[in-house]
Amino acid sequence: MSPRSVPNQSIDLRVLSNNQAVRLNNPNLESAVKKVRKDEVTLGLKADLTLLSLATSFVEKAALAFGLAEADALSLTLASEEIFAYLCQAAVTEQEVQMRCRRGIYFVELELVFQAQVFDIKSFNLTSSVTFDDTSQVDETGLLIASRMVEGFQFFRDDEGFRLILTKEKTYPTITDLSVPEIRSLEEYTIRTPNADELKLFIRMVNAHSRSYVIHPSFAFPGKVVDMVAGGEYDAAVAFERTGQIGGGIIWHFQSPRLVEFYGPYLFIQPPKAGMAHALIDSCLRSVARSGALGLISRFTTPDLPKEYFECLGSLTVLREGGQQVETQSYYRHLEEDMGLAVWAHPLIEAFLVAEYERLFFARDIRWIRHEGESVGDSTVLSAHIERGVSWVSLCPVWWGPDAEQILAAHLQAFEKEKILNIFFEMDLGESWQCYFTPVLIQLGFQPRLVIPYAGKGDHAIFQYKAGTVD
Amino acid sequence: MNRWNPERLLPEYIKHFQAYVPSKPDAELMALYGCSRLYRLNNNENALGPPPVAQEIIRNFQPPRAALYPSGDSYYLRQKLAEKFGLHPDQFLVGNGVNEVIAFVTKAFCEKGDNIITADKTFAVYEWVAEFSGLEARLVPLKDLSFDDQGMLNEIDDHTKVVFLCNPNNPTGSYWSRDKLRDFMEAVAGRSVVVLDEAYSEFVEAEDYPDGMGLIDEYPNLVVFRTFSKMYGLSGLRIGYLVGQLTLVEPIRRTCIVYSVNVMAQEAALSALTDEGHILRTRRMVREGKDFLRGELTRLRLPFIMGEGNFVMVRLPMNDTIAYRRLMKQGIMVRTMTGFRFPNHIRVTVSKLDAMEAFVEALETIIS
Repeated sequence: MSPRSVPNQSIDLRVLSNNQAVRLNNPNLESAVKKVRKDEVTLGLKADLTLLSLATSFVEKAALAFGLAEADALSLTLASEEIFAYLCQAAVTEQEVQMRCRRGIYFVELELVFQAQVFDIKSFNLTSSVTFDDTSQVDETGLLIASRMVEGFQFFRDDEGFRLILTKEKTYPTITDLSVPEIRSLEEYTIRTPNADELKLFIRMVNAHSRSYVIHPSFAFPGKVVDMVAGGEYDAAVAFERTGQIGGGIIWHFQSPRLVEFYGPYLFIQPPKAGMAHALIDSCLRSVARSGALGLISRFTTPDLPKEYFECLGSLTVLREGGQQVETQSYYRHLEEDMGLAVWAHPLIEAFLVAEYERLFFARDIRWIRHEGESVGDSTVLSAHIERGVSWVSLCPVWWGPDAEQILAAHLQAFEKEKILNIFFEMDLGESWQCYFTPVLIQLGFQPRLVIPYAGKGDHAIFQYKAGTVD
Repeated sequence: MNRWNPERLLPEYIKHFQAYVPSKPDAELMALYGCSRLYRLNNNENALGPPPVAQEIIRNFQPPRAALYPSGDSYYLRQKLAEKFGLHPDQFLVGNGVNEVIAFVTKAFCEKGDNIITADKTFAVYEWVAEFSGLEARLVPLKDLSFDDQGMLNEIDDHTKVVFLCNPNNPTGSYWSRDKLRDFMEAVAGRSVVVLDEAYSEFVEAEDYPDGMGLIDEYPNLVVFRTFSKMYGLSGLRIGYLVGQLTLVEPIRRTCIVYSVNVMAQEAALSALTDEGHILRTRRMVREGKDFLRGELTRLRLPFIMGEGNFVMVRLPMNDTIAYRRLMKQGIMVRTMTGFRFPNHIRVTVSKLDAMEAFVEALETIIS
């Protein structure tokens, strides 16, 4: 474990009662605190072990001030301690480490910006482990611990140095009460944004009346959905009768600045002639039409989706527990006139990509990549988003290295051991380096299945592991 | 070295505002979509081009004159407009297209905490200018495809500085009659500035369509917008203007960017005003194009909205944005209407018959 550091350095951060600011009451540290705002506080420190407790105190106080429960705040604090200690111990930098805590309604984000010769991010791989017999790995132990303390991480390098962002979510109770009012078709309805209690009721109704595979995993936590709507991450529109009876609804969010994903429309025995599904989709479209988003996608397609509004991107083969195999289709609609795009790709998926772009009428200038002996990074890092409830994992590349096959194979082994049935890999064709994963993916049994336009910097290609096969 | 980050200097309303991305140049689009021809039916341009007299001005422009600044306030053009409409030259402000005069009015009257009112399904620039100026844009839903007078009146409060009306409305082609406009102006009773955007007025042949110019003397809070981009075929030169009573135009002039209108635009616009034949020829072309489209769209069983103006909106049995891409493959460029909050609709510029035939032929292939 990382050594604890010098006492007598403390920091006190608290949100003022009017939520207007975070106050720092240690005058000696005024110069270190770079920015104090309602939802964000930034501290700049030298990577010096004597400042370790200061760094952890900063994160802990900020996390508590920003609404995390003690246990969650402690997890984030531990993560920050391990990373800060790593940066000091590895003597990778004499320069300042910027630590920024940001409040989200349902999470707190810690961002560390630092200069370093090396930062061994591979410990953030889900499959990483440490052998204590190997003293060379001791430094990485802390990073491994840090990675397990948080729900999500992002890592990249820009002009300011390395940037590591850790996200710790609040803990919410899982939905248990599925008692809902009797449903009936509505004679007349209006569509509007629900208040918090109406939204929770709608979520309960979705859980009570919809098939599990069209319910987004976040709907298991109604309180979280309410917070996500309040925080502007989700938007919701619900159809109400004058009496307050709910007839249906839809929820959407910006998955990226250019892509909006929606869930629904969920209708509770409403006749098609009432046009509620169309009205709910129109409501969503009105909201996002001039937002700068380029696309709207549904991956949890309900039976009520008005398909003429969308184009089918294709399907993924989803295995359910018990061995049932279902093709789940993804529906997409572009929101603007497509001006075309240049994308990167490996020639191994040429036939697939060309056929998809032709079928979907997307104008693309495909630039082919190939490895020509040049040096590559040190190690591969993947992020894994796991939804155990639906036995689903989606891998995204964070870093490319020569050990890609080994790292990916280790992930597959881990998922198979955990009996996760559905394994996907999402590649951003706007990032040329990600395309170097293609031969490894194909070799290990992945197949390209979908192209999602503008899902990231470029289009995303979705690969599925052992698509269409049942072990 | 740390990279300078502009984020901390940006107002919140700019951080969240997305820039409008205009179409790529025709040659780029043609290369991307692999088409060898391109009918531009997306911007309501006049297929006949500028009036012949204006074409002559453009053709004879002496290149050395490009080194000289133009008249900073379009002096001669304002003289001509005043003569044509029987008003004072200082009642006119000329800008780099109507987009610029929208900004003049908004900047002149609105400050933090104020709002503007317009419709939800109309020309988007009123809303955009308000939003990237940190103002609230109150969008009143259309009623029966037309601006909802009572709905807009209900939204007016002490902070409403400008009400934008598009008459006829782009993209529905609906218009307010003279009586309805007059009733609205009476009901507003000077509480806000009312902008009457008449970008497509020269196309309107309906008898009860009001001439906004004729109402200026009656209503001191009325501003009329006109453009040379549509009927006069000068879109590429960017020139439009506003007109109102002197007391109203004077404060707007304070926010007016001088020298923003180039010399060729000023001279071509001035000459265009003298050619009445051009308006008649264009109207004839639009009438014939609409007759053709009415028949063909009925044959194809496609619902359409054909009001005033040189455009028609068509409802498709599919997503309008894929229709755009499939039509582009065949060299037909239309405007998708999702951004106008009319999902699954396209707007088509009424053009010459060969373009209309090419459009229908391409449309038929994508709906079959």
